[in-house]
Amino acid sequence: MSGMNNIDHNTSSQSDIDEIESLFHISVQPAALEVPRSVPPARKPSSPPRIPVSAPLLPPSFVSSSNQAFSTPVQSGPTPSTGAGFGGGPQYNTLTEPVRETLKRDLLRVATNLKDVVLPNPYREDPGKALRDWDLWGPFFFIIFLALTLSYSATENKSKVFAVVFATLSAGAIVLTLNVQLLGGSIIFFQSLSVLGYCLFPLDVSALVCQVNNTKLFRSLVVLVALAWSSWAAYPFVSTAVPSSRKALAVYPVLLLYITVGFLVLAND
Amino acid sequence: MAGAYASLASEATGTVPAAVESDHVPHFQETFSQPGHGGQGGQGIPGPNQAWQGYFNVLSYRPYFNVDTVDVTDRIKDSLKVDVGFVEKTSQNPDMYGPFWICSTLVFVTASLGNLAAYLSYKSKTTGGHWHYDINLMSSAALVFYGYVGLVPLALYFLLRYLGVTSGVFQLWCLYGYSLFVFIPASFLSVVPWEIVRWLVVGAASFMSAIFVGGNIRTQIRTANDRWLAIVIGTVATHLALGLVLKFYFFTYFQHDAL
Repeated sequence: MSGMNNIDHNTSSQSDIDEIESLFHISVQPAALEVPRSVPPARKPSSPPRIPVSAPLLPPSFVSSSNQAFSTPVQSGPTPSTGAGFGGGPQYNTLTEPVRETLKRDLLRVATNLKDVVLPNPYREDPGKALRDWDLWGPFFFIIFLALTLSYSATENKSKVFAVVFATLSAGAIVLTLNVQLLGGSIIFFQSLSVLGYCLFPLDVSALVCQVNNTKLFRSLVVLVALAWSSWAAYPFVSTAVPSSRKALAVYPVLLLYITVGFLVLAND
Repeated sequence: MAGAYASLASEATGTVPAAVESDHVPHFQETFSQPGHGGQGGQGIPGPNQAWQGYFNVLSYRPYFNVDTVDVTDRIKDSLKVDVGFVEKTSQNPDMYGPFWICSTLVFVTASLGNLAAYLSYKSKTTGGHWHYDINLMSSAALVFYGYVGLVPLALYFLLRYLGVTSGVFQLWCLYGYSLFVFIPASFLSVVPWEIVRWLVVGAASFMSAIFVGGNIRTQIRTANDRWLAIVIGTVATHLALGLVLKFYFFTYFQHDAL
């Protein structure tokens, strides 16, 4: 960082923030993404470029938009900026807000996405539309939870069960997405991973419920219902992504994956 | 054979080879060595502008998935009918969808049916003992099936190249993948608890599959090399060996003592 030589590193962050704020008030451009580059960065040089917690894979060009948010320092809660964030939603200044705000917002997003995917409105106008504000935390939680539940209740080879379930689910989601892309469909890779991960939620519930009761009949019923629910939730997204002459080719692997996982849930002692 | 070199050149540029004199035996060059030309007219991986990066780009494999649902079901029906003209029919458009998902289905089916049959055996025994879900069946099934379909056609391709016979590795993968389809119904039928039924079912499936593979290879390389018979017998033998492995490892679950 060549511009750092002139800066007194002992200044407090508040004065740095004021400095930036004054500079921003001078140039009031909304598309001020270029401005921060000519301004000496307010933050201390040892810190890496801030990437908001809720957007873990942000491309570098968006880092500067987090500087933009310095114009309202410290006090208030999240202040959405105009930059397009991770997953298409607004990006927040997660640096200066309390951690619980960030967590609350992430959890809320997981819940909203879950509702959109798993309990969709049957009369919505475009059944194939995927999540607008997708994220990967939800799928991550669900995969880990399912693998943990199955491994906890297994009597032998607990760690191998966890490994196999986790690998099957994560590799399965990736392979399913690639399958749709290779068949000529056009979907966004991570968005598809997100939808497929959220569709695992019914199977998570069934794994929990199966812990309660051990009779095979009860388990079979619960797993069957969960399977049908998961497949029904995933079907519109996958089938509208490919040309209609290949719909079955895209949908069958989804069914295969969920049946495999359902069987693992069912057969777990 | 100058014809072999002409076909190699045409394979490199993606043009159609010159018509050969008519004969009832299809020339292997025409069928085996045609690159798949799904969306882009004769362009295999990698594309002309991409060099080695094309191998890592998912989209450059799209021509090998250029099949519709009816195509896949037709190919499966051909494999069940033991159609020795299979490679000829699919040479223009070998697909990787069928082999990959047939293998995946097989992995799941053999692993779950193996566990199911072990469970039935545990339930039917009057003595104690404890049943647990054997997760190793799934990982070893994956190893066996993906390994077989992945490596054996590759080895065959290199062997044929060594012997001077041009062949297409994707066509071979397509052939071997579809040949395994018949083991899926065989697995379902093998849950029946009588040993003789199991042997019959697995034996029939292995033979059908082996003849499918051997017949197709024979049709393709018969005119190309003097040692074609040895190669065909080798492929049939490896396929029967796969059937034996399946019988002894996966389909050896409990049996009725009566009968």
